[in-house]
Amino acid sequence: MPRTYVLGLGNTLMGDDGFGPAVVHEFEDTYEFDEGVEVVDLGTPGLDLTPWFADTPHIIIVDTVKAALPPGSMRLYEKDDVMKHAPLARVSPHDPGVKETLATLDFADRAPETVTVIGAVPGLVRMSLELTQPVQMAVPAAVNAIRTTLERFGHKVHLKADKASEEVVMSDFAQALSA
Amino acid sequence: MSTHITVDPITRIEGHLRIDVEVDGGVVKKAWSSGQMFRGIERILQGRDPREAWVFTQRFCGVCTTVHAITSVRAVENALHLEIPKNAQYIRNLIIAAHAMHDHIVHFYQLSALDWVDVVSALKADPAKTAALAASISDWPGNSQKQFEAVKDRLARFVAGGQLGIFTNGYWGHPAMKLAPEVNLLAVSHYLQALDYQRKVNQVVAILGGKTPNIQNLAVGGVANAINLDNEATLNMAKLYQVKDLLDSVKQFIEQVYFVDVCAIGAMYADWLKYGGGVTNYLSVPDLPLDGKGATFDFPGGTIFGGDLAKVTPIASFTDPYFQKNVSESIAHSWYEGDWQRHPYEEDTVPQYTKYDAEKKYSWIKSPRFDGHVMQVGPLAQVLVGFATGHEPTKRWAVKTLETAGKVAGVSLTPAVLHSTLGRHAARMIRTAVISELADQHWNLLAENIGKGDTTIFNEPVFPKGEQQGFGFHEAPRGTLSHWVVIEDGKIKNYQAVVPSTWNAGPRDSKDQPGPYEASLVGNPIADPERPLEVLRTVHSFDPCIACAIHTLDVEGNEIAKVRAL
Repeated sequence: MPRTYVLGLGNTLMGDDGFGPAVVHEFEDTYEFDEGVEVVDLGTPGLDLTPWFADTPHIIIVDTVKAALPPGSMRLYEKDDVMKHAPLARVSPHDPGVKETLATLDFADRAPETVTVIGAVPGLVRMSLELTQPVQMAVPAAVNAIRTTLERFGHKVHLKADKASEEVVMSDFAQALSA
Repeated sequence: MSTHITVDPITRIEGHLRIDVEVDGGVVKKAWSSGQMFRGIERILQGRDPREAWVFTQRFCGVCTTVHAITSVRAVENALHLEIPKNAQYIRNLIIAAHAMHDHIVHFYQLSALDWVDVVSALKADPAKTAALAASISDWPGNSQKQFEAVKDRLARFVAGGQLGIFTNGYWGHPAMKLAPEVNLLAVSHYLQALDYQRKVNQVVAILGGKTPNIQNLAVGGVANAINLDNEATLNMAKLYQVKDLLDSVKQFIEQVYFVDVCAIGAMYADWLKYGGGVTNYLSVPDLPLDGKGATFDFPGGTIFGGDLAKVTPIASFTDPYFQKNVSESIAHSWYEGDWQRHPYEEDTVPQYTKYDAEKKYSWIKSPRFDGHVMQVGPLAQVLVGFATGHEPTKRWAVKTLETAGKVAGVSLTPAVLHSTLGRHAARMIRTAVISELADQHWNLLAENIGKGDTTIFNEPVFPKGEQQGFGFHEAPRGTLSHWVVIEDGKIKNYQAVVPSTWNAGPRDSKDQPGPYEASLVGNPIADPERPLEVLRTVHSFDPCIACAIHTLDVEGNEIAKVRAL
């Protein structure tokens, strides 16, 4: 079992809602990391988050967040912020899953030690395979935030020799098709 | 004087469902079900390669990923009259079975048990008595007095700390909560244990599907799991046995815990076998195909009208015209342009939002009909069709359930009690128990077929010039799911998904026939209009998941159900 999960949340068919999956795919394409890290594009699993969170020491979530800030603005939250009902910490629209999963696992005494949310404020959430420009521009910063968070937990992260990939969302589909 | 209650939203998971009920004399007289977000995501498929449609459809809904993937490849294969290899069919079936068990366990323990179980009351339970009670109904090793003591202590610390965490929004102490403290403690303990089985069965999907929740092993024409029993990188002996171990372990939990909990809780709420029936026309499609083309199945499908179990019209194959011809959708009360009832091949989805008007248009969900009839879909439909057609494992588990619950309740129960709110929970458990047996069987079929030296997994699809139409169906955890595709010169021209929660949650149609949610609420008692627990019980019994019935445009994320009593 990995020590740290990096989980991309959001729907890749719904424009900026696909920020989380886009970021984790870009991270996987750009970096190599040790075996204690597993990166998963989870989509919008609701309470099906539980198996990923249970007994895992560190959870890093990449998601869209609701905040009174311009599209593409980045926010970082910790577990306490997520559990508080603070307006800035409303992780949406997957909030019900994240918060309820953590509360369930707190009760079961199996909650992660740390939860880090790397979030961006979405611009347009509507049927589209592409991120809007301001949100697309937040992808590198979010990828970098994953790296620094992993390093903080003692993981080894290195840039891949042949780092590439421009069309992140489509490369996911292409990968799935060629698997 | 009547009271109007609005519950918004009603799902604990994604999706946005609003329910309105009119209550008079403590009883629901009328109900309206409304999807509050636009649906129409199929348009994203127009012009695309049919071979990759499944990659997109599995993103329709984050909870029902695999079911939309499998239904999509079935639809395209149907359009091409393409048979798939047996191995591919069995591997798909194992994924279907694992996903269904996962989904049903999560639904019962995480999403709906709390409508019946008063967590706070468990603090008054005697762990020794709880253990004695548990031992009298099940051999489950996870029922020791020590374990119940630990759970009770943990709960006491939570409550003393002033935080109920996950249980904050429950209706504790509600007059409709009736379980003895010991049964509540038993249920809370199993709620915690269920987390492990949720993970185990999920691993089956991960091993066979490459990844979860978005599987990667499908292809139009078969699967992409290379089979070589001696190669570590492919589906091999070690992986097959890992799958078997996981399935066996989950089967034990289903038979010794889930089955017992549903019988015990059900027996103590025997009143709820009278409420929540609503629409007694049922639709279910056959599933777990036994051959490459979908002509023979392990699960039967068919229709039942007016609750008459003596008359089942079968749906027999992947190409059955009885199903193909009779499905249509109405938009009489939905926020789309016009007022039509059309076959899915002919549909065209143009949104036109007007305000919420219960007399006119009040939902983003369309109203699917079968030969013009409202149909209830879901595990209850499947179990009733299985029962009525003499499907052996379904009949055996249904009889066992009615006998066990009847014994605890001290009454004799007939299959007629299944047309109810609790009947839907019982049917879901019966279906889970049957699927766990069938999963074993399909594992054997796969192992035997590979053992014979057959490692074929894929038949190449060929797209002729011109137009082809195809439909694929799947008996998904929430009921009959169908995808309808029109292909022209190798590209998708039209695509429609008619999903289970649309069948059940849809609004009235042009003849003003209410949908299954709406009909099932009529007659439900309401003890306290400010806390309409009974509405949640009946709606949750359908396992609503409208993240695909409609989609996420609303970025609100407010998980607490808002209740307004006017």
